[in-house]
Amino acid sequence: MCVFVSIDGVSLNDLLERVSQLSDKLHSLSTSLTNDLDSHFPPYGGRLMRPSMCHTASLQIPNDKDQALRLPENELLSLARSLLLAWSDPLAMLSSEANTLPHPERNAINSKTRQLQDQTNSLGAGLERLVHKMGTSSEVLSSLPFNSNDLGHDKISRLVNFHFLLSCFRRDSHKIDSFLKVLRCRTSKMQPDMC
Amino acid sequence: TAIFVSHTAGVSAPGRPRLTGCRSPEKETFTCWWEPGDDGGLPTTYVLYYHLEGSETVYECPDYRTAGKNSCFFSKNDTSLWVNYNISVVATNAMGSSVSEPVDVDVVYIVQPNTPEDVRVLVVDDDPGPYLHVSWEKPLAADTQSGWITLVYQLRVKETSQDTWEVGTGKEERDEEKEKNERRTEEGEREREEYNAGMQKGYNIFSLLSGREYAVQVRCKPDHGFWSEWTSPAYVQIPDYMLREHSMWII
Repeated sequence: MCVFVSIDGVSLNDLLERVSQLSDKLHSLSTSLTNDLDSHFPPYGGRLMRPSMCHTASLQIPNDKDQALRLPENELLSLARSLLLAWSDPLAMLSSEANTLPHPERNAINSKTRQLQDQTNSLGAGLERLVHKMGTSSEVLSSLPFNSNDLGHDKISRLVNFHFLLSCFRRDSHKIDSFLKVLRCRTSKMQPDMC
Repeated sequence: TAIFVSHTAGVSAPGRPRLTGCRSPEKETFTCWWEPGDDGGLPTTYVLYYHLEGSETVYECPDYRTAGKNSCFFSKNDTSLWVNYNISVVATNAMGSSVSEPVDVDVVYIVQPNTPEDVRVLVVDDDPGPYLHVSWEKPLAADTQSGWITLVYQLRVKETSQDTWEVGTGKEERDEEKEKNERRTEEGEREREEYNAGMQKGYNIFSLLSGREYAVQVRCKPDHGFWSEWTSPAYVQIPDYMLREHSMWII
């Protein structure tokens, strides 16, 4: 906690406010994209492929409030960064595949996937600034390799894999948003209206 | 060998129960409810089973009492986030048993808070007429201080003599942008009033009619989840007042 006192509080709060808004939007966008995908196909992908098979599943994260609130600020931040980093490659792949996805809502899906990628990049840049601002020693980020170059070849597996990856991302973006909002409230105690 | 007599006076194995929904009021606990099917004319018991995604271990509902009949309550200790709970209900009587369609639930997607608390409405005297100051508290269970849950609030107002909160003209499409702004009919009557207060726990409402009684309600929504119910209405009487004339005095 004392780390923050020595730093210009206002701009740290502003920065946290901005990254929280970005992560909030990111999760909402992933939900909207999931709804577009589900609009014409039942989400059978989720039945075949469990979210426990997501490439980020090995990352140890707090899975309830008490655990999350026990984590120090720098760990909350590096969890968010590790998760975000892990989605850099898969989102790039989704972006490149979205415009040929065999789905009637392809145009909407395509543009939202690109937005997802853009917003992820903005959030990533925001988190890097936050690291500097908070003056935390650069934590070692967890490596969560993604070993896949495409979604598959037949229509069904492309849809199923797209859906599966998106459901993983949706869940991870919710984690990122939750951690960042806890971080925001911890550092903005002087603004009781925010929390 | 047990032989079942199938003609026993119209009794049968129970019908399939149906899981009707699950809800978490604060991202820390949750409850699921089911509807029993036909009981087959016999005493029938219901057992809720669940397992977490990626695990084979099956658990029984930890608490059938707290949330009332045909429900299962998962306390903090039984609640994890970002993992699917695969839930089903088994109905059993002397003639056999039947199992519901299983339901997958991730607690973060079923958050619907309780209603805000302690809604107060104050008439504040002002020029050219009084306004209402409405204040409220967050739902008790929601931990907003730590940032674990983030809530935004909405208010609605109607004259007590009016029947409905919404008197849509049918001419205009309802959309979020319009909900943000108060709207009036041509006669100047308030038509539908929903105000977004954001994260604040107070809001001023202006330009209410002299001598009328109004009802005010508040509700809240988490950052990712569903609107709470509206609070029960708080009533307030606007005193009779005259619009003060802004005349010019030439001395």
